Amino acid sequence: MKKFSVLVLGIILLFVTACSNSAISTSKNTKSNPDDGSNKETETIKIGMTSAVTGPYSEYGEGNKRGVELAIEKWNENGGINGKKIEVEILDDQLVPDKAANNIQQLLADPEIVAIIGPAGSGPGLATVPITEAKGMVHMNIVPQTIEVTYPNGTDQAPRKNVFSFALQNDVEANVLGEFAGEHWEKVGLLHESTAYGKSGMDLIANILEKDFNKKPVAREEYNQGVSDMTSQLSKIKNAGAEVVVVVGLGADLANIKKGMDRLGLDVPLVATNGALSLPYLEGAGDLVLGTIGSMIGALGKDPLSPEAQEFADAYKEKYGVDRYWGNDENNPQLFMSLNVANAYDGANVLFEALKNAESTKSEDIIKALESIQDFKGVNATYSFSETKHHAISEEALDLFEYVKEGDKIKLAPYKK
Amino acid sequence: MSSLQFALELIFTGLCVGAVYSLIAHGFNITFWTTKVVNFGHGPFIMFCSMIVLSFLMKGLPWIVSIPIGFAIIVIIGLILERVSVRPLLKYPTSMGWIVSTLGVGLFLQALASKIWGAQALAFPPFIFEATDYVSIFGIRLSAQYLLVLVMALVIMMLMEMVMNKTIWGKAMKAVAHDPNFARVMGIKSKIVITLSFMISAFLAGVAGILIAPIYGTITPEFGMNIMVLGFVAAVLGGIGSSKGALFGGLLLGVIEKLVGGYISTSAEHGVAFLILIIILALKPDGFFGVKVVQKV
Repeated sequence: MKKFSVLVLGIILLFVTACSNSAISTSKNTKSNPDDGSNKETETIKIGMTSAVTGPYSEYGEGNKRGVELAIEKWNENGGINGKKIEVEILDDQLVPDKAANNIQQLLADPEIVAIIGPAGSGPGLATVPITEAKGMVHMNIVPQTIEVTYPNGTDQAPRKNVFSFALQNDVEANVLGEFAGEHWEKVGLLHESTAYGKSGMDLIANILEKDFNKKPVAREEYNQGVSDMTSQLSKIKNAGAEVVVVVGLGADLANIKKGMDRLGLDVPLVATNGALSLPYLEGAGDLVLGTIGSMIGALGKDPLSPEAQEFADAYKEKYGVDRYWGNDENNPQLFMSLNVANAYDGANVLFEALKNAESTKSEDIIKALESIQDFKGVNATYSFSETKHHAISEEALDLFEYVKEGDKIKLAPYKK
Repeated sequence: MSSLQFALELIFTGLCVGAVYSLIAHGFNITFWTTKVVNFGHGPFIMFCSMIVLSFLMKGLPWIVSIPIGFAIIVIIGLILERVSVRPLLKYPTSMGWIVSTLGVGLFLQALASKIWGAQALAFPPFIFEATDYVSIFGIRLSAQYLLVLVMALVIMMLMEMVMNKTIWGKAMKAVAHDPNFARVMGIKSKIVITLSFMISAFLAGVAGILIAPIYGTITPEFGMNIMVLGFVAAVLGGIGSSKGALFGGLLLGVIEKLVGGYISTSAEHGVAFLILIIILALKPDGFFGVKVVQKV
């Protein structure tokens, strides 16, 4: 009996180990000859990627995966990079920093991989950049908003040599929200989630309010992600006489904040980070979202879309249809796609462009080629990099949007004062 | 807003939030009565039932059909949990294996839910009341849905007290809890009583699920686990195994949380539950209403 139990345990352990690091290898290699593979190196260009493909944050990981795959398909259909087809190996980290770091080690062990597309989330981002930096491997940062991923000593200092960011950096979002709140209201109430993202983002906003407008927030409160009731936070903000509530947080929590504000009769505008434009907020708060103002990369809100954004939207719709990522409006992709699909699509396209220009797969050559990219038109922005500037999304790419009612439908419209 | 009104607001909201914890603590009690087992799969049960109900609602079925299906499934899962992860361990009365085995079933349900419905937040529609409905008491607006939970927690407490003290079932449960073998000798079908207790507990998890999910607005596979922990603190605070304790512990925990949030710091609001857990375990491990159990070996 005991032996049997040990045997069963052994088999279970084996199974768990085998499943734990499942790689999703999406080979876009054409039906190449199944020869010995000796000339494979010359036929393909391979990149590695780790992201939260499954788990609670798969909205980002799966979205990023789709973005990268769309870009690869586009390039491969047009003959690849200088005649070489592109291939990607994607590992799943579920947004767990340790897993992401392990995945990166595993990817770096493959000599064929020439560049890395980084994980979603600031935690995994910060856990992986030191590894790629030590090896000098090109690292495209797609989602993590924390500045330190790209600029370890602040934006006024040199960036990490190997990291190029397509993320909406915390400081950029904070600048836009801080300026907006400072210009329009005297008494500002602040509320943020208790994560690094929430705290650091709110520090930046509070800083702008104090420095640029000489305004001290009347209240600053925090909450844990996923909490159901924020009465104490909102009551304090209400008691302080706030004329606006500025929030750094995710969509589902924003829905609870908005419901709480409604119940407590805290009838002031809600201004929030990009979570305000996510589906969980709209679904969770329903009609209450009206009037909420959120900041977001404006590219997919333009009418008409830029040719690049239109091409991306068409390609996405053709491959995946109108789904959760696309959003409720059949004709227009939702703005949030800029943060989970289009960013990865742009990152991959810029990387491939640099690989094409570099005509080499050596890291130094790719970095040089990336730093020489100027006015490359992508979906989210027009990209220009230099030795000192390794991030792409700046304040100009950001717009403020407001929920408005059009007939029976709730829509996001560019904010007009 | 006057300071008195602020204090009242915090206290009333605390009572409402605490009612959620009470509702969960009630679910813990039933299985504890019969087997001295705390079912750590209770949280995922709450989540799983609301997920099932939600998926039928999304298919266009009305509440009146979705809820019974959801409850039926979760009760069957309760039965399976008892058979798979509790019964084999009851042979060893001193074993604490149930902690791992019930938690294991819970984690399995969580993973299963991610597989079936995905790991992302799904919107749960309002049930009975709209999310914005409120009742005004002394000028303080309380969410109607929260009040519904409070009423439910009270009703369940009264029902349980009645069943335990006034009915033959209650006596049977007490007998099984005291000594399952002796109860069997006395003609009580201990195994059936135990199985039933797990099924009722699963049913209560279902009730909690559909009442609490609309408050959160969205549910994820992790949804139940997080609130279960707070429900557990409430059960320990009130005295595990006591219905009055479950109600009192939950409400007290809710009020303390909100008062700490309102007067000390909102960042301390969520950690305070664990501080209470440590203090109560150190000073009064049987909780406020718990009975000291002396076991003869």
